[in-house]
Amino acid sequence: MPFKRYVEIGRVALVNFGEDYGKLVVITDVVDQNRALVDAPTETRRIMPFKRMTLTDLTVEIPRLASKKVLTAAFTSADVAGKFAASAWGKKLAARQSKANQNDFERYQAAVAKAKRNRAVRKAYNQLAKSA
Amino acid sequence: MGKATIIAAGLSAHGRSKTYKRRGLWAIKKKHGGKFPTTAKKAAVADAAASKKTPRFYPADDVAKPLAHNAVRKPTKLRSSITPGTVLILLAGRFKGKRVVFLGQLPSGLLLVTGPFKLNGVPVRRVNQAYVIATTTKVELPKLSLDKFTDSYFKAAEDKQKKKKGEEEFFKTEEAKKELSAEYIANQKEVDAALLKALSPELKGYLSTRFSLKDGDRPHLMKF
Amino acid sequence: MPQEGIFKFHQYQVVGRHLPTEQDPTPTVYRMKVWAQDAVRAKSKFWYFLRRLRRVKKANGQIIAVNEIFERKPTTVKNFGIWVRYQSRTGYHNMYKEYRDTTLNGAVDQMYSEMASRHRVRFPCIQIIKTATVPASACKRANTLQFHDSKIRFPLTHRLARPSAPEYRTLYKATRPSVAMI
Repeated sequence: MPFKRYVEIGRVALVNFGEDYGKLVVITDVVDQNRALVDAPTETRRIMPFKRMTLTDLTVEIPRLASKKVLTAAFTSADVAGKFAASAWGKKLAARQSKANQNDFERYQAAVAKAKRNRAVRKAYNQLAKSA
Repeated sequence: MGKATIIAAGLSAHGRSKTYKRRGLWAIKKKHGGKFPTTAKKAAVADAAASKKTPRFYPADDVAKPLAHNAVRKPTKLRSSITPGTVLILLAGRFKGKRVVFLGQLPSGLLLVTGPFKLNGVPVRRVNQAYVIATTTKVELPKLSLDKFTDSYFKAAEDKQKKKKGEEEFFKTEEAKKELSAEYIANQKEVDAALLKALSPELKGYLSTRFSLKDGDRPHLMKF
Repeated sequence: MPQEGIFKFHQYQVVGRHLPTEQDPTPTVYRMKVWAQDAVRAKSKFWYFLRRLRRVKKANGQIIAVNEIFERKPTTVKNFGIWVRYQSRTGYHNMYKEYRDTTLNGAVDQMYSEMASRHRVRFPCIQIIKTATVPASACKRANTLQFHDSKIRFPLTHRLARPSAPEYRTLYKATRPSVAMI
């Protein structure tokens, strides 16, 4: 299978380590084999090692070392944040986030709902098993 | 008033009569009708003077003098996350894991909570806020009269239970189960009845279940 | 931008001269850019180099100014050339090195760690002769030239999933890591 995600100018990556964990950044230049210059609409352009990011399927059309204005325009017009949130990966992260933000009462409600669903499933399964 | 000439230490040039004139004491006497004004001495002062008198003998043993402690006990600060109606999770004691409703803070700093008893078996009791997790869930509290639940109300109940057993009582056969006072039960029922009306069926279910950590739960990262 | 301060070695401009004497009431002022961990060590480095180059030493000289020099554009990638002289176990050698970085301080840090790893030469044995921002057309090293491409494109291979923070690392993994290349 050929590679799908390349390090290239305009590639959107997800930060997976450190204090910017979970943010989307765009590669604006490649420094060397280990590091890239990354930028995001709300961040200062800076160097980030490839080890701290995961490449996504998304890219934006920007020139090398694009200015903040150009980058922000490309980022919003390509709807990077929206597309990522709509992807399976983005949904998984959002679900994980919402689960982590549950309070004690919501955890209880979820447990009750899960038990209710399992009861219904078991009931249906047993009926099918009996008739088969 | 002129100055007395001192000839030597303790010896002045003037005699008694001359000093009397010099000090003008006659004027004071005249003002008060031939008598010196007197102030009634306080009895307490006299006592203090008497006790100050050095004893004739030193005590043979050192008498331990308790150190003065000027520390003033500050009232316990209630955690800001705990307000009346907050659902708390008890962490210690026989009710550990139970979810209870916070009613108010007592002057001793302890928290007044109730299960309600009907739901999870926790009566109106006092708990230390250190042994409690405050959740973000709040219950809309109805008007409750909590005046009877004072520190002494609980203290009396505790003292009765804690009475030490002597040898004889220890070996005696177990007495019949202690009956709770009717007043205590009535108080509980009153609070429960008012509180239960304010709880939604979902909250009732929530309060009647116990909190426990499941596999993979990290309590320090969890939100309550 | 936290990166400006995290370098081990900072660039300082140190200005000094010989103490004024009757023969020479206005001695020549010397200015030098040195890399050091702090301003105090920068001054020491200044006297070290100056007494090798001119008849001035700390005992008969004075420091006029010490300033730290910061990168003018810390958000663009440049090619830095560094000329160094170092003392190996056998003798002195000169060397030219090229690094890509956003700051000169970063390039100097890279140089020190590369010298330590490739040649086992530590900081005290290295003298920086000169540094320069090299235009792409003047770059010499293949490792820098390969990144001079505005349409650069390469995959990342052998990717290991890392925990999001060092405190979540485990000594023993339950499963072998997946290094699937995508």
